[in-house]
Amino acid sequence: MTTAPTIPGDAGQAIALDVDDIQAGALSERPSPYVGRYLLLRVDDPRHGRELVRRLAAVAAIGPDTPGSAADAWTTVAFTYRGLEKLGVPPASLAGFAPEFREGMAARAQELGDVGESSPEHWEEPLGSPDVHVAISVLAPDAARLGAVAERARAASDDLGGVEVIWRQDCYQLPSGRTSFGFKDGIGQPDVEGSGRPLRNPTEEPIKAGEFVLGYPDETGSLPPMPSPDVLGRNGTYLVFRKLHTRVAAYRRFLRERAADRAEEELLGAKMVGRWPSGAPLAVAPDGDDPGLGADPARNNAFRYGDDRRGLKCPAGAHSRRANPRDALEHEMSVDTRLHRMIRRGTSYGPPLPAGVLDDDDQDRGIIFVFAGTHLDRQFEFVKTQWLNDGVFIGTPEEKDPLVGGSDGHGTFTIPHRPIRRRLTEKPPFVVTRGGDYLFAPGLRAMRWIADLDT
Amino acid sequence: MTTMTATDVQSARPGLRVGTTSEFTLFFRVRPGHGEAIRQALQDLQNSDGYRPGDYRIPIAVIHEARFALFDDDTRLLFATSFDGSWDAYMLDFASKPLQLFAAIFEHVEGYEGLPDLAAVKNFILDAQVTAAAYARNYPGTVKQLRKATALEEAFQRVLDDPGAEGALQNPVLQPLLDQAADA
Repeated sequence: MTTAPTIPGDAGQAIALDVDDIQAGALSERPSPYVGRYLLLRVDDPRHGRELVRRLAAVAAIGPDTPGSAADAWTTVAFTYRGLEKLGVPPASLAGFAPEFREGMAARAQELGDVGESSPEHWEEPLGSPDVHVAISVLAPDAARLGAVAERARAASDDLGGVEVIWRQDCYQLPSGRTSFGFKDGIGQPDVEGSGRPLRNPTEEPIKAGEFVLGYPDETGSLPPMPSPDVLGRNGTYLVFRKLHTRVAAYRRFLRERAADRAEEELLGAKMVGRWPSGAPLAVAPDGDDPGLGADPARNNAFRYGDDRRGLKCPAGAHSRRANPRDALEHEMSVDTRLHRMIRRGTSYGPPLPAGVLDDDDQDRGIIFVFAGTHLDRQFEFVKTQWLNDGVFIGTPEEKDPLVGGSDGHGTFTIPHRPIRRRLTEKPPFVVTRGGDYLFAPGLRAMRWIADLDT
Repeated sequence: MTTMTATDVQSARPGLRVGTTSEFTLFFRVRPGHGEAIRQALQDLQNSDGYRPGDYRIPIAVIHEARFALFDDDTRLLFATSFDGSWDAYMLDFASKPLQLFAAIFEHVEGYEGLPDLAAVKNFILDAQVTAAAYARNYPGTVKQLRKATALEEAFQRVLDDPGAEGALQNPVLQPLLDQAADA
């Protein structure tokens, strides 16, 4: 194993991650601004598929950190369970993957709350179908560099007739630098022990590397379960990929109808998100946006909720507090939040809805949600089912996440406020699942191992 | 989830659920010769913060009550509780923190070897867990909601104790509270 040098004062002291073997997309923050492209491929001929994997391993090995490389882009390659099956990974190895991954996201729809409009029967083709075998994402700071890298990735399949690109989704950071709802995102990432990346949240110990990369001890002190042989699992990670359509006009109308003025609109939106549009956390800036705070990576993730248990600053039901309650539940002794952390690598797709527009323009826009972690069950699925789709944990069983918790049109959202709490009712859904899947992003050696299979 | 009833329970998972709350029932065998020691450990628990009768502050905030019963001449132990949430989802959390609070008790039962890893915890619990044959609840709501309701009741009583309460509650907005005031 090659070991990464550790730098005192960063997140890399206790354990050395084999960063040269881990796909860059898992641990690297996306560039900002960014442009990107997601490709899904179907493998018809396993030999062509394995040749593709061999070529992609070379592409994925080149990242912004590669010495002497001008490539300023991240290519991440991942596979569905059916993809690994198609590529000839032996049954004994396949059996060692996480059960949720083996089932696939569409089969988990009921559990995940992907029902009604969000149910797999309404998903965009071919998302969730058995035809999806290989997923490639490329992220770069600008279109020129994306083009160069995407071209390398595309060329990898060019002369392989037994492999076909069946879906493509471009994404780009909106000119505002914010999501379609108007908020800076991607902020509350966990610090990963051994990643060598700067610490962003000094109020919390870095999370064990094994929570995010297979082959290292996780927060329980054990190695996360991984497939055999060792080379296949080590340095890999599971990804969750979801295309989430955002109903921006409905969101804006909802706020407009319930707010007395523009300032109150912004406040209600911030209460639902847990942050102001700039990214400034309500926990630190409860009374108004603070763009300097929102833009400062050393401060915008360095906070806790311990002094705000009643949620007067940031509601317990706010999106970002649900997804990452930090210390808010610590005194309850019933949950260990370190077991439920997620690396998120989401991006925006589609054109922005112009400022001030309240009518839907039928454009497809939203978020490509990407999660990375070693425990689909107690990370992504736990957060989605217990914290976003349910309110038992904060004592409001009937309330769901105001943005992504799903809604039958009668959702409520409670905003603690002195002297009297505010409750928003008849909240329509603002996010619809368009499809997705569970993926496995192997280490680079594992990709070469797959490429060398002869089955 | 509030509309979920016991009939919605997925049978593959141990524990019945009513509304937001699940029953959790474990049967253990006491290690031979440990009857007296486990009785002492339970007494110590009873005398600790949150477990003294009237404390009403069990350190684990999601459990409605906890009951430890020794039976068959102190050769067996029943641990029965009701808790808010999904056992499936929270099993590892339970292993990570609350279970450690009971270590002094569980070390006297068979199958407990310090629970070095998750697999050991899962086996320890699943070997001991018995799904109730019947489970009913007499009030809805989570511990958090009930604590809030209790606080609200105390506040309401303080309002009613004020000589000005009758006048103040005449405001039509407060009619629902006034309706409760006659025998509150």
